[in-house]
Amino acid sequence: MRRREFIGLVLWSAATFPQMEARAQQAVTVIGVLGSSTATDYGPMIAAFRKGLSEKGYFEGKNVGFEYAWADDHYDRLPALATKLIERRVSLILAAATPSALAAKSATSTIPIVFAIGGDPVRTGLVTSLNSPGGNVTGAAHINVDTAPKRLELLHELLPNRTSLGLLTNPANPLTASVESGVRAAAEVLGIRLTTFHASTDEEIEATFKSAAGSVAGMVIGTDPLFTSRAMALGAKSLEYKLPAIYQYRDFVAAGGTMSYGGDIKNSYYHAGMYAGRILNGEKPANLAVQLSTRLELLINLKATKALGLEPTPVLVGGADEVIE
Amino acid sequence: MPKPHRTLFVKYFFTLFIAVVFPLALGAMGEAWFGYREHRAHLTELLRTESRSAADRIQTFTDGIRDQLGWLVQFPWPDGQDEQHKIDAHRLLRQVPAISSVSLFDRVGVQRTMVSRLAINRIGEETNLPSDRAVAELRESVSKVWYGPVRYQRGSEPHMTIAVSGNRQANGFAIADVNLKLIWDVVTAIKIGETGEAFVIDDTGRLVAHPDISLVLRGDATASAFNRLRHDIAKSNSSATETKDIEGHPVVALVAEIPSLKWTVVVEQPAAEAFAPIRSSLWRSLLLVLIGTLIAIVLAYWLARRMSGPIRQLEEGAQLVGAGQFDHRVTISTGDELEQLAGRFNEMARELGLSKEKSDRINRLKRFLAPQIADLVERTGDDALLEGQRREVVAVFADLRGFTAFSNRTEPEIVMKVLGAYHEAVGAIIDRRGATLTNFAGDGLMLLVNAPVSCPDPALEALSLAIEMQSVVQSLVADWRKQGHRIGLGIGLAMGPATVGRIGYEGRLEYTAIGSTVNLASRLCSAAIDGQILVDAVVATAIDAKIPLQAMGAIAVKGYDQPVPVFTVAPSVIPKC
Repeated sequence: MRRREFIGLVLWSAATFPQMEARAQQAVTVIGVLGSSTATDYGPMIAAFRKGLSEKGYFEGKNVGFEYAWADDHYDRLPALATKLIERRVSLILAAATPSALAAKSATSTIPIVFAIGGDPVRTGLVTSLNSPGGNVTGAAHINVDTAPKRLELLHELLPNRTSLGLLTNPANPLTASVESGVRAAAEVLGIRLTTFHASTDEEIEATFKSAAGSVAGMVIGTDPLFTSRAMALGAKSLEYKLPAIYQYRDFVAAGGTMSYGGDIKNSYYHAGMYAGRILNGEKPANLAVQLSTRLELLINLKATKALGLEPTPVLVGGADEVIE
Repeated sequence: MPKPHRTLFVKYFFTLFIAVVFPLALGAMGEAWFGYREHRAHLTELLRTESRSAADRIQTFTDGIRDQLGWLVQFPWPDGQDEQHKIDAHRLLRQVPAISSVSLFDRVGVQRTMVSRLAINRIGEETNLPSDRAVAELRESVSKVWYGPVRYQRGSEPHMTIAVSGNRQANGFAIADVNLKLIWDVVTAIKIGETGEAFVIDDTGRLVAHPDISLVLRGDATASAFNRLRHDIAKSNSSATETKDIEGHPVVALVAEIPSLKWTVVVEQPAAEAFAPIRSSLWRSLLLVLIGTLIAIVLAYWLARRMSGPIRQLEEGAQLVGAGQFDHRVTISTGDELEQLAGRFNEMARELGLSKEKSDRINRLKRFLAPQIADLVERTGDDALLEGQRREVVAVFADLRGFTAFSNRTEPEIVMKVLGAYHEAVGAIIDRRGATLTNFAGDGLMLLVNAPVSCPDPALEALSLAIEMQSVVQSLVADWRKQGHRIGLGIGLAMGPATVGRIGYEGRLEYTAIGSTVNLASRLCSAAIDGQILVDAVVATAIDAKIPLQAMGAIAVKGYDQPVPVFTVAPSVIPKC
């Protein structure tokens, strides 16, 4: 009887072994990362995303794999990249920035998409409402777009007597229109003459700064992944060309930019990571409400203001969440 | 019909088993019940503490905002001080991250300053905005603070209005829009056990704060579910309620109110964790009961065996002893009354054995001794009496004359009847006089006097016995004659030393006398005619004329060289009955 049992056991193991192997392969889920910019520049964001993911029990290399697709600031490549990820049969797509999110949403309506964007999720059409996204898309937003008018106001606060200010946007970004209209409206209220500058490449950015330095007193940098990836360069350029500038990214201020105001980008990616983990655990994206940044932080670089010969008001300095000296 | 032994065993077994298991089970159930009640009370205490603490922390949060707002309405609102107010507002926003915008109204209720984190500030405008509801409320009420209802901005983010007024109407009003997402830190920090949590809902069920902030951001979608939960818990006023959370999982929950805000803090713990201690203690109790039951079974079995075993042994013993096996002994070494009983039983068996032996002996003796002699022998216990020895005895032989011829020609029933009458008559006399009847063969019998028990005047005794016998039988003879049977009785006596003792083999022992005296008596009997008693010279000498004897000359007897003198009893001596 025991011999028979042993043989039976051996046969059963042999029969199920291939199945077990196949199941082992399937067990590794893959997250597709669709990035508008470059891997290196968005490295810290992806790191924040991974941290959020690990909170829900998913660790890269252990039980989840990553598949990256970067557009290198060429947003027209995004639809093809999105299709490639879908063919790869990823379990979930992380859309880094608004252009990626819009491309991913058009590409699939079944694979869950988690975004981390600066735009407004409802106004860009990604979700139907913040409280119940519906469909397969949800995520976190650091509402760059909404804070852009406020950034103009802050710049105006810094340069109270100057009425000519500039706005830098990337025309390739679908968000640009809403940014420009928002800031223009604010400029009217504040009584500012606004000049809009467009740049889609590094050379164009360089050219813009060169020409803007003479014509406007300060520059509000609009929302764009390109600008985010070039944040440090932009900060350095602001100092170089002696053009006070305000953006929404700490690295910008640390590199020499004058001020930064808005929601924390990395925080959005962290929340996106937690959402990704929850979706992989079985929750539906339609039931996960969109998270907007809770805190809006003002950073000011006093070294830069000194170099630019500016004297920020006590309100500005006192109200800053972080002062870089 | 003897019933199977198992009944007693089974009775004992079940009695013992139930005696152990019943209290055990009762104890376990009692412990479980009381344990559950205690645990419920403890749970209620825990949840109450946590919920009160949570409510206090939230109260502190909103009180903090109210206090900070108070800074802005300390001084009256003079005209042209808008810049100062702007600075104050900015400082407020810096100090209180939860405030997303603050509006300052003058004493008339006109908004003069609005500083926001997101919207463009409005400084020093006399905007003709409709009078804020908050201002109206503050104006009406006595308290200096007004808490607005919870509303979801863009359907998602929870906000509320907190408005304060100063100690004078002139100070104006400060109205802050509070982003309640920042209460999340307070709520997340509240830990109930491992998996328990706390959340806050307002009086319409709208979620204000929850550890899973995405649930709050769902807006009104969850309101009805939470309202139901709140009502369920409110039903059982002061103790922890077992209910289902909004996803349908069973939880234990308790609420605490924040009266100033009309909010409710709900603390809940999943039923699995809440009752885990109870469950594990129940399992423990069950295990103990199980072990106890097993022990009870073993114990009951063993004890029942111990109790019914000896009883069974006694029963078997009684059966065997009753069947005659008197040497059977029952061994019980339980060290209690049963052992005593066994001892008594064994004694009884021994006594029975002894008594049986005794009665056997008596019966053996009675075969040839007269009953009273047999008793005497038995009483004195002197077995030596039956030992072989030489004694002076009187041997008496009696024989029916003409019996053989009679038995040949008569039917057996009559022969037996005659014999029976003869024996009965003669036997009574022998028994009365205590003579030893050694044997009777057919119509002849042999008696001994003075053996095994001595008697005072053996010759006289023997002769008197013979005379009595003859007398009684003669009357029988007369009857028989009438019936046509020619039978008579002749008796012969001789006295002298003889060897007496038991002869035969085991089981068939007889007491008898051996010697020439015996022979002589037998010869004399044969020689005696019907009605005659012949005695030898020794007897005659011993009689010594107490009974008249007649000399009959001498006869030749085998074994004797000389002819032996013979005497007869005078017929007149023999009474006629």
